[in-house]
Amino acid sequence: MKPGYPGGGPVRLEVDITSKEYKNAAGERHDVLADIRFALGAGEVGVFVGPSGCGKSTMLRIFAGLDHDYQGRVSRPAGARIGMVFQEPRLLPWRSVEDNVRLAAPLANEVKLSALFAILELNAHRNHFPGELSLGLARRVALARAFAVEPDFLILDEPLASLDEALAARLREQIAMLVDGRSVMTLLVTHDVDDAVRLGDRVFLLSPRPARVLANLPIPTPRSARGEAEIAAIKADIARRINGDRTERDAS
Amino acid sequence: MPRLLSFTVFVATWWIASLLAGDAKLPPPPAVLAAMIAEARSGALFLNLGATLARVALAFVLAMSLGSAIGYLMGRVRLANRIGDPWLILLLNLPALVVIVLAYIWAGLTEAAAITAIAVNKLPTAVVTLREGTRALDAALDEMATVFAIPRWRAFRHVVLPQLAPYVAAAARSGLSLVWKIVLVAELLGRPNGVGFEIGVAFQLFDIPLLLAYSLSFAAVVLVIETSLVQPFEARLSRWRPRAA
Repeated sequence: MKPGYPGGGPVRLEVDITSKEYKNAAGERHDVLADIRFALGAGEVGVFVGPSGCGKSTMLRIFAGLDHDYQGRVSRPAGARIGMVFQEPRLLPWRSVEDNVRLAAPLANEVKLSALFAILELNAHRNHFPGELSLGLARRVALARAFAVEPDFLILDEPLASLDEALAARLREQIAMLVDGRSVMTLLVTHDVDDAVRLGDRVFLLSPRPARVLANLPIPTPRSARGEAEIAAIKADIARRINGDRTERDAS
Repeated sequence: MPRLLSFTVFVATWWIASLLAGDAKLPPPPAVLAAMIAEARSGALFLNLGATLARVALAFVLAMSLGSAIGYLMGRVRLANRIGDPWLILLLNLPALVVIVLAYIWAGLTEAAAITAIAVNKLPTAVVTLREGTRALDAALDEMATVFAIPRWRAFRHVVLPQLAPYVAAAARSGLSLVWKIVLVAELLGRPNGVGFEIGVAFQLFDIPLLLAYSLSFAAVVLVIETSLVQPFEARLSRWRPRAA
């Protein structure tokens, strides 16, 4: 057994999906994913950037082991603890904030939980029910739940979507702090290039549906050391690639 | 206070109606109260109420637990639903009287036959309600429980059961009223005690005060159980809702 990992084996995600079809209620088949191939190691934050509706959430469901109906191969670290933030908070409305977190993470001790609640500024809301929370707060509870399980594999599906800019920036910092605090393999999906460049170690650009990986861009500078100039340069590069692809397609 | 008022109006209406219809058809409240006290003094009232309550409790528990389990299964597993559905439709539409008479014929005039017959009458409504509840379960929360590897039993208790609770409460509520109605018929037809049996006797003797004494005591017991047990239970289940109806 390798150290630091209860399930044994290396913490590494290897994905080679050749296609994924989706059948809608009318029985029509749609291709959602075309060619998704990449690998991610422990401690790496991989960020997927792609247009809305390109199949990002479908992809994450496959990585999380919720969907087995696809062509190709996904090797997840067996027995890895998964922490996931869904696009909607998916909290249990009949349990308090604290109980929601504890249900997913029964082994979390009080000290770590307190620290987590403090980072996410949730201490005042421990005994509230999710129905009493704003969306921003509910998203933070969902983040707390995902981090409380001390995951080996963290999946974040647009955790900052539809939040105002200031709150999104604060939450982004909090996510960065939590990810850096533990060496965890992280996958983040977003359509915000800024989030991608500030959080990712590796940015994957996705095409419109059916999604395939257009580019795999490593960002070697550590998150905390990235200056605004470098971030702007990477963003410009990404924008060029996305738009370049678009003009290419428009031309053909 | 509003409850007291509504009770007063009930007694007043009854009294006026008895003056209009005559003692023979509708005895006034004091006559019924006297019959009630006489039955209570002899101990017969409590014995019969107790016998009926015991049958209600057994049949209710049996039908609720079996019905909930079958309903959950039929809601979750397509095959179970296809196998069970014709039986469900048959049982739903089978008159209570048929079930009771057949139970007495096949199992004799026994306690087991009575309780089974009552339970069988209530069972299908519990199945239907719980099946609907199970179909309405939120798949998104199931996925959450799967991803976080919450053990089956814990997920059932914290994720599934709270979603089913309103349906269980609805099944309990409608089922209890059904059981209250059917238990008396079962007792009338084949038991030597219980409220239903006494009402049958009173009917044959045309003893209307006795008949009303048992009917009203029974109604009072039902009311007490509904307000002291069923309603607080429902309120507790929905306490997390910001504004419970």
